[in-house]
Amino acid sequence: MQSGNFKQSFSEQLNLTDSSAVRLWYAVVLAALVALPFVASPYLTGFFTTVLFTLVGVLGLNVLTGFTGLVSLGHVAFLVLGGYAYAIATVRFGLHPLLAFGLAGVVPAVAGLVVGIPSLRLKGLYLAITTLAFTFIVYSLILAGGEFTGSGRGLMVPRPIIFGIDFSSERALYWLCLAVTLATLLGVLNIRRSRLGRAFMAIRDNDQAAVAMGISLTKYKLLAFVISSFLTGISGALMVLFINFANVEGFPFLLSIEAVAILIVGGIGSVLGTVIGTIFIISLPEVSTQLLGAVSAAFGWQLNSVALEIKGILYGCAIVGFLMLDPRGLVGLWIDLKRLWTSRPMRY
Amino acid sequence: MRYTLELIYSGVAIGAIYGLMAMAFAMTYKATGLLNFAQGELGMLIAYISWSISTALGSSTWALVGGALLSSIVLGLLIERFIMRKMIGQPVFSAVLVTVGLGVIITSVVLMIWGGEQQRVDVKYAGDIVEFAGLRMRVSQIAVIVVLLLALALTHVFFRYSRFGIAMRAVAADARTASLMGISVSRVQAVAWATSSVLAGLAGLFFAVTFELSPSIFTLGLKSFPATVFGGLDAVIGSGASGIFIGVFENLVGGYIAPLLKEIAGFLMILVILMVRPFGMFGQKDIERV
Repeated sequence: MQSGNFKQSFSEQLNLTDSSAVRLWYAVVLAALVALPFVASPYLTGFFTTVLFTLVGVLGLNVLTGFTGLVSLGHVAFLVLGGYAYAIATVRFGLHPLLAFGLAGVVPAVAGLVVGIPSLRLKGLYLAITTLAFTFIVYSLILAGGEFTGSGRGLMVPRPIIFGIDFSSERALYWLCLAVTLATLLGVLNIRRSRLGRAFMAIRDNDQAAVAMGISLTKYKLLAFVISSFLTGISGALMVLFINFANVEGFPFLLSIEAVAILIVGGIGSVLGTVIGTIFIISLPEVSTQLLGAVSAAFGWQLNSVALEIKGILYGCAIVGFLMLDPRGLVGLWIDLKRLWTSRPMRY
Repeated sequence: MRYTLELIYSGVAIGAIYGLMAMAFAMTYKATGLLNFAQGELGMLIAYISWSISTALGSSTWALVGGALLSSIVLGLLIERFIMRKMIGQPVFSAVLVTVGLGVIITSVVLMIWGGEQQRVDVKYAGDIVEFAGLRMRVSQIAVIVVLLLALALTHVFFRYSRFGIAMRAVAADARTASLMGISVSRVQAVAWATSSVLAGLAGLFFAVTFELSPSIFTLGLKSFPATVFGGLDAVIGSGASGIFIGVFENLVGGYIAPLLKEIAGFLMILVILMVRPFGMFGQKDIERV
């Protein structure tokens, strides 16, 4: 008799899941996500669209920071580059939207390669500062771009029609984001389980040891940067489509910190954690706005004027709180909960 | 020639503010191995607190300076005791991100309490113009340069001759060995946080007096990164001196090449510097045992 759940072959090890119940759950969640716009209000659809395109970008950051252990505090630069690449390709050159999407990934990826080169020599905090510097350089370049980039005013970006499908409605855009997000999720999960992902994690855990095992630091660090910035760029293009506008002010530096906050709150290096963290952080301001509304209605306080500040405080407290109390993040809580459920009354 | 000199003079003045901030960065880095990403925000908060204290006491300059020193020491000690000390033993990355979170909180609190409007900090004589070697400078600009020079001299003496400064260097070199030698590492770190917060507070205050008091002061933290990196994260005196260099460099680039480049000149420069010397100009090279 089997005394536990053992993997007996390598392919079993690589399976995303070995449980049919989990597969069923995934199918149910997927069906619910696809059907969501028919049921939910336009506001809720918009909210989920935000969650989806943010998730794409944060998954990108997860490849770099979570898997490879290279800290980037400047991922918003890739977001800006992706958004503007899409906007300029469609508005200025009239390219096909699909081609523009390709560019929205490739342009940041090339930039990622450029930023990645210093990362070969720099460690830890010095790298974080380099990526930070890169953000400000990108901002200035776009502001200096004059008519071409729309400098301070920005660019209007109409939503595309791809293969006869009109993406101008919120609903259609939601499905577009859903499709891209699912593809990204699968892609990132596959990276994690392949040679590439194992190499990334070896570099994260001990780069010298990784070199000794025959992993080329140059190749894999640069690859991590390229993949990460590609995904973040795509996320930027989706974001620009969502707000119909590409503008430097639409991509504040705070977004970089938000992405890092999502990783930490969710659980760094974990794909499931990234998903949970994204939902948590994106709904934080919404929930707090609702709460504030309720509180100010109940007590007659005027809190709406400080809603934005309270959102900031919650953000900061979430980051500091999770780092100090549970560095594993929400995914750690989830695992504890699952363990409690499956092995009660035993502790393990 | 006159134009160049003017650029250099105002560059030195703004560079001195960068220098103070950069020294603050280097101070925490040296003692704790952490980069405090909330430094700019801390400087802003201290500037606001001391402004409130001094206006409550009838706009006296002494209240302004005293308030800044007192509030920065208290804030530095509080942050060290209740937040950063709990992060000892955690990965550096987590501890640094705690400071990032702290910065977000401070910015929001400042906006909530004082609002987003610009304020003028009135200090007697600060706006007066002095003729200095044929050029006109404001008193506040000269004051900040003097303060930076004083801070540099004091830090040099402190690290070189005082018992505590030597203990701090020992902790920076190897915290475990230092604590085995009977040095209280947590006390050293507390003093480092207090000192760096005083330096950051002075930088914030001088910026507020010279320009204006507004929630955008926190960008001073970001703008001082080039100085810290140029000098080397662990070189306190080097960072302070590099502040002036970066300030002048920025102004010259802005004046002669393109005004738009002024904002990013420092960042462009450190990208180059880091490629050549990944540990800054005066920083110590990290030798790692595999």
